[in-house]
Amino acid sequence: MTSVLLVDDHPMIAAALGMLLRETQYELLGRARTAAEATKQIASVKPDLVLLDVHLPDASGLDVLRRMTRTRSRPKVILLTAGMEDAQLLTATDLEPEGMVLKTSDPSLLTECMDAVVAGKRWIDPEIAERTRQAEARAASAPPLTRRERELIELVRQGLRNRDIAAELGVTEGTVKVYLHAIFDKLQVENRTELALRAGELVSR
Amino acid sequence: MLAILFLLALFLDRTEPVRAILGTYLLLSLYAAGAIGIAAATWRNWWLDARLAVPMHAIDMAVFTAIVFSTNGSTSPFFLFFVLPLLSAAIRWGWRETAFTATSLVVLYMGAGLLLSRTQGFELERFVIRSGHLVILSLLLIWFGIHQRSTLFFRQEDFDSPMGEGENALARALGFAIDVAGAEGGALTVAPTGEDPLDGLQLSRGGQRTFSLDRPIVRSPGYSSFLYDAARDRAVTRLPEGRFHFAAAADWLEIGSALPAAARQGLATQVRTGTQQGWLLLWGISDLSTDFIEFGRELGRAASAILDRNALLQAIETGAAARTRLSLARDVHDSIVQFLAGAAFRVEAIKRGAKSGSVLQAELDELKRLLVEEQGEIRSFLLALRRDRELDIAEAVAELRALAERLSQQWSVDCNVNTDGGKGAIPIRLQLDLQQMLREAVANAVRHGGAKRVDVELAVADDRLKLRVADDGSGFPADDDKPPAEPWSLKERVERAHGSLELVSGPGSTNILISLPLAGAAA
Repeated sequence: MTSVLLVDDHPMIAAALGMLLRETQYELLGRARTAAEATKQIASVKPDLVLLDVHLPDASGLDVLRRMTRTRSRPKVILLTAGMEDAQLLTATDLEPEGMVLKTSDPSLLTECMDAVVAGKRWIDPEIAERTRQAEARAASAPPLTRRERELIELVRQGLRNRDIAAELGVTEGTVKVYLHAIFDKLQVENRTELALRAGELVSR
Repeated sequence: MLAILFLLALFLDRTEPVRAILGTYLLLSLYAAGAIGIAAATWRNWWLDARLAVPMHAIDMAVFTAIVFSTNGSTSPFFLFFVLPLLSAAIRWGWRETAFTATSLVVLYMGAGLLLSRTQGFELERFVIRSGHLVILSLLLIWFGIHQRSTLFFRQEDFDSPMGEGENALARALGFAIDVAGAEGGALTVAPTGEDPLDGLQLSRGGQRTFSLDRPIVRSPGYSSFLYDAARDRAVTRLPEGRFHFAAAADWLEIGSALPAAARQGLATQVRTGTQQGWLLLWGISDLSTDFIEFGRELGRAASAILDRNALLQAIETGAAARTRLSLARDVHDSIVQFLAGAAFRVEAIKRGAKSGSVLQAELDELKRLLVEEQGEIRSFLLALRRDRELDIAEAVAELRALAERLSQQWSVDCNVNTDGGKGAIPIRLQLDLQQMLREAVANAVRHGGAKRVDVELAVADDRLKLRVADDGSGFPADDDKPPAEPWSLKERVERAHGSLELVSGPGSTNILISLPLAGAAA
């Protein structure tokens, strides 16, 4: 039997996966609903395999995976997601989980992925693989953010006005506007509100 | 006027003048006639007015000096007239010109005084006192000139009335400028900062029309306001220090065929907003004079303020729309997409169970119940989205009670919604947020605290909606030396609605107090 820990906060998903794994070679040891719970339970129950949702109430599942990769030995991980932005896809790929499955794909793909991962293979949902390729192409063609632009995005995220940003960076208000328009173009956001709301995800690129 | 008054005073006062009687009358008469002639020539001729300003000022000083000293010199009762050129300079120009005028007058006064000092009747004491008065008054006016602030012709409320639905900000700004300047027509061209303003709007008695140009009308001469006469190829502006600066109109602007013939003479002033810049042209101003150069700067600022205000309102609307869009996407992702994914996994589990011969009836019934419940959720979500009006508190409470019933079943918890019976209207966006907050609060109470009962109270006070969610769970986990963890996702949602959240958590009870503004919530 392969011991499994499920990390997902949605009750419908949890109940359904519990049913799906019944009468299989997988033993569901427990369920964590938050990133904090997940970190604790992974350390205490030491599962062979973790089914890890990317969107958790207190943090990202990618943060949990990042913390796990720092430990000497970690269980195999399959990322479960209902959808990821480009930046998250690229981060997830860099963290090299053993499997990635879209919750919206054919449900039979999850067990296929679990079987492959337990057999020592890497298994990525075909749709995720395609989206990752596209995201990588977009990231390669887009000019990278400069250090100055990243600083400016962080100040926008903090809710500072152009005048305050200019004072903070020691430039003129006009220069701030020029920077902002360049950032809008690079990140393909429409305005500073969208930039502020999505700053965390965009700057992680 | 002053010269005629002077002449009249001399005529009535038989003791004046004391010297050069014929010359004085002749000079004053010539001066009065010349002044009338100049006034007639510069009437509605801003170019000549500006051109003659400095020479006429010098003549004024010279003539008044001569006349004051021909009427008893240092004891002349017309000394007051002598200082009028000084006042004129202080009013019309800056401190430099006032200082120049003051110096000239003091030198003229002293010089004339010295010349007459040996004559009979010269009163040294009075001469010294008057010289002192002149110097003090000069210093006072120079000080005023240095410290004068730019005049504000308009107050914010003059152009702060709300923009009508579908009203064009350019038309509003241009219409305002035409009205206050008393112009027959005008044009406003603007473009994003750094680009040439080639597109514009023209407004006149004939109506409103837009136009496009191959090149900008004004060639950025470096002056923010000037008068121009394209037919005579003249233009004039006033430099910051008060001096006039003359140029050929063709050097500063080109009135092409896109504008009417009347536009060939008028006022051009710069418009500069946070993101745009351009030019405002006004023509057919009946009493156009050099005073309009400064007035034009204020007009430009007022038009810019109107455009800025409109841009700000648009940004607020765009921001609110972006927030609503992202928030809706998150709601759909968190609820509907997750539910459907879970349902698909269940179907897969049931399918596998069927192959192994398991009894499926109970699982199919459970799935059916969940699907029907979710259908209700989606229906209420769509209903709220489609609604084009705000909800009464009573309607909102009824919807929340229905949601509480579904959540009770979903989480096996006793969830109740109560209200204090207060009245008020709830914007649609806020009602959607309320529903999602209730979902998250109940989910947190059960997940984190193992609650069996959740009581929700809704009240309206001080234009704010107060939501209190109390449960009998074990509360949010807390480390020994740290405050209890906060419901992160719920807090984020409350902050997006510009509200505040307070958590009082302890063993056996958790109270979440949420306060949301009713007025600021976008529908």
